[in-house]
Amino acid sequence: MTGIAASATPLVRMADIRKRFGENHVLRGVSFDVRAGEVHALLGENGAGKSTLMKVLMGVHEADSGRIELDGQDIAGRSVRELLAQGIAMIFQELSLLPNLTVGQNLLLGREPRLAGWRIDARALRRDAQALIDRHGFDLRADAPVRELGFAQRQMVEVLKAVSRGARVLIMDEPTSSLSLREETQLFAIIEGLQARGMGLVYISHRMAEVFRVADRISIVKDGLLIGPLDSASTTPRELAQLMSKSTAGELAGKRAPAADARQRAEPVLRVRGLRTARKLAGLDFEVGPGEVVGVAGLVGAGRSTLAKALFGLLPDAAGAVEVDGRPVRAGDVPAAIAAGIGFVPEDRRHEGLMPGLSLADNLALPGYASRHGAGIASRGRADALFARYRDMLHIACRRGAQPASELSGGNQQKVVFGKWLATAPRLLILDEPTNGVDVNAKAEMRAAIRAVAAQGVGVLLISSELDELTAAADRVLLMVDGRISRSLTEVGAESELRALLQADMAARQGGIEQTSASAPRLEAA
Amino acid sequence: MNTIAMRGRAAIGSIVRDHLTYVIFGVVTLFFAVAAPNFATFGTAEAILRVTALVSIMAVGMSFVIICAEIDLSVGSLASWSSMLVAMALERGVPALAAPFVVVAAGALVGLVNGLLVTKLRIPSFLVTLGMLSVLSGLALTVTGTMPVPIVDDNYSDALWNARLFGLPVPILWTAAIVVAGYYLLHLSVFGRRVFAVGGGVTAARFSGVKTDQVKIWAFVLSGMTASLAGLMLAARSTAGNPSLGKGLELDVIAAVIIGGTSLFGGAGSILGSLVGAIFIGILGFGLLVMGLSTSIQEIIKGAIIILAVALNRR
Repeated sequence: MTGIAASATPLVRMADIRKRFGENHVLRGVSFDVRAGEVHALLGENGAGKSTLMKVLMGVHEADSGRIELDGQDIAGRSVRELLAQGIAMIFQELSLLPNLTVGQNLLLGREPRLAGWRIDARALRRDAQALIDRHGFDLRADAPVRELGFAQRQMVEVLKAVSRGARVLIMDEPTSSLSLREETQLFAIIEGLQARGMGLVYISHRMAEVFRVADRISIVKDGLLIGPLDSASTTPRELAQLMSKSTAGELAGKRAPAADARQRAEPVLRVRGLRTARKLAGLDFEVGPGEVVGVAGLVGAGRSTLAKALFGLLPDAAGAVEVDGRPVRAGDVPAAIAAGIGFVPEDRRHEGLMPGLSLADNLALPGYASRHGAGIASRGRADALFARYRDMLHIACRRGAQPASELSGGNQQKVVFGKWLATAPRLLILDEPTNGVDVNAKAEMRAAIRAVAAQGVGVLLISSELDELTAAADRVLLMVDGRISRSLTEVGAESELRALLQADMAARQGGIEQTSASAPRLEAA
Repeated sequence: MNTIAMRGRAAIGSIVRDHLTYVIFGVVTLFFAVAAPNFATFGTAEAILRVTALVSIMAVGMSFVIICAEIDLSVGSLASWSSMLVAMALERGVPALAAPFVVVAAGALVGLVNGLLVTKLRIPSFLVTLGMLSVLSGLALTVTGTMPVPIVDDNYSDALWNARLFGLPVPILWTAAIVVAGYYLLHLSVFGRRVFAVGGGVTAARFSGVKTDQVKIWAFVLSGMTASLAGLMLAARSTAGNPSLGKGLELDVIAAVIIGGTSLFGGAGSILGSLVGAIFIGILGFGLLVMGLSTSIQEIIKGAIIILAVALNRR
């Protein structure tokens, strides 16, 4: 995406911004600017200071020193409300829409057209909102309840809300983290449209591939300093990764152990035959060998997470044969799945993976507590020792085992969930989006950890929306479309190849559905 | 003297930060010791612990339920019902050694029903136990047409309330036994870790293999058992089964647990905290009584102090 409309004069310019919280110097002289009509991507690890920088721009935090200019005017020290009015808006990862209201009510929240006596003019509201939507050419209905919208559509509403309030600089924080492939394409089209209207966009993301797809310039925040901006056309992902982290060794090394043939000859750790659920899975057959990392690719909604949950016994309606080390596992029974040697790192870390208010040691020891007899003594010392072991093994950055899990960063939380299952000495580890929302370094560490586990003979089922992650980490990739495995790739090629195959399979599947539905009337006629 | 005061001030500072409830507890006790006549005596302490025994015992069971992020409103009327049940059993010649066990088993059954309704039918525990409160109090009133049933067996009343053992009244010993058992179950046993896990994140607990429904059902069963034990003691105290003996006790019990630092949202709490909460409520009632305040004024002050204690204890 090249910014044709991008002009050289910046819309917003931040110069030599410094910000300190107590003894912690978060920003140590950062200069950053956004031009009209460009997408300026902002990369950086969690805690590097990029969200602080954006909060300074938004007026949430006041900088200790430095200048912020909008159209050449100094705007430092203004409140969030004033800055919003000036045209600086942010779209957060957790969207701020009210799900119980309609699209129109959300768009015009707080500035609804009025009738006499403080009454809201519902008809005018719907009309104005629809006019706004149509003017920007979005595929939305003003009277649709937000509750019924998908994540991508909610994001559209959010963007529209900001634009309709006169936003000229839009900050997007990890906008694709919850989107499927097709929705991503939609979002990129919207971004292009906003660029063409002369808006300046700040695009925060951890995903290298999409940053290169969408951004004109790329800057990296590291240790409170800014690296860049770099022209996206003249740099490479590897160069960026090297700039971001001290070493990318973890990611580059550890790729694919040899002895793949030996693995295939060995008895599989997991054997699945005819796995189906009432709504999502349509009969799956596959195997995972000892020490093999099997990737699962597919769109959101293809049934990847359902597969994981069915294997782990979370779905009572799952049917079919699941065997671990040749022994059948009872369906719909989590304790049985764990006893058989299955571990599961779920997608939703905060709800499904962790108990945020409880201590790290308790979180890590929980599967053990679940399987033991209830009346037995739960030794604090043993739980602490267990935690210390996995803290050292996985390099979990924390103060002590008694610390609540909620205090850790996303990457470290994920390591705790990972460690919790390592502690059960699993035979098969199911990982559902294990690197979602963790920074580049933590991603590399996580991949190294996956490799290390596989090297011990544990089978790994790796579900990921990031295709480059699958190409980097998996020995074999299963493509899932519509609750079926459309193909199994033993030779994992480049990310673009994987994407093309996936799209081809999807198109074939949709074509198939249309054909069968088209043939039905003909049969009736005959 | 001066250094002691300074060291004391530093110590108090850290205690105030960590355990505000205990500080309020201390301040209120100190106030009564100074202001109320003859308050600071061994006799008073014994009397308060005795009066508090019922709430303390019920608070132990309630702690499990609240840490699971559920609530049990049926404990007061379950206590009434249990007092009726034991009195009628004794009246019909059931041996005094067997009757209490039957009644506690019946209390466990009530807890089981509560737990099954909450977990299997997914009805909020507030509603299930509110309904159960009504059912049990109605039942207790109906069985005898609102008449109390006298208990003539002195052995029974002695064992549960009147006797002294090792120089202490038995209600205090019963409290101690239940607190020790509760402490083991909640803070030392594997089951206790599961209770905290269910309250700390029920989905994460399920995803880790914890049978979360089973844990909740057990919590309700424990609450039912402690409530029926309290009912037995109530009956022993008044040497009769009375359908209105336990009325309103559930509020004191819940207040005790919350004052003791247990979170209504689950996942945090302690047995000793609940005990302190129960004793706190006891001291408050007793202190205001000996200061000669009318019961209606007492209620107002008690309510205000409970709200204050909980407000300050929130983290």
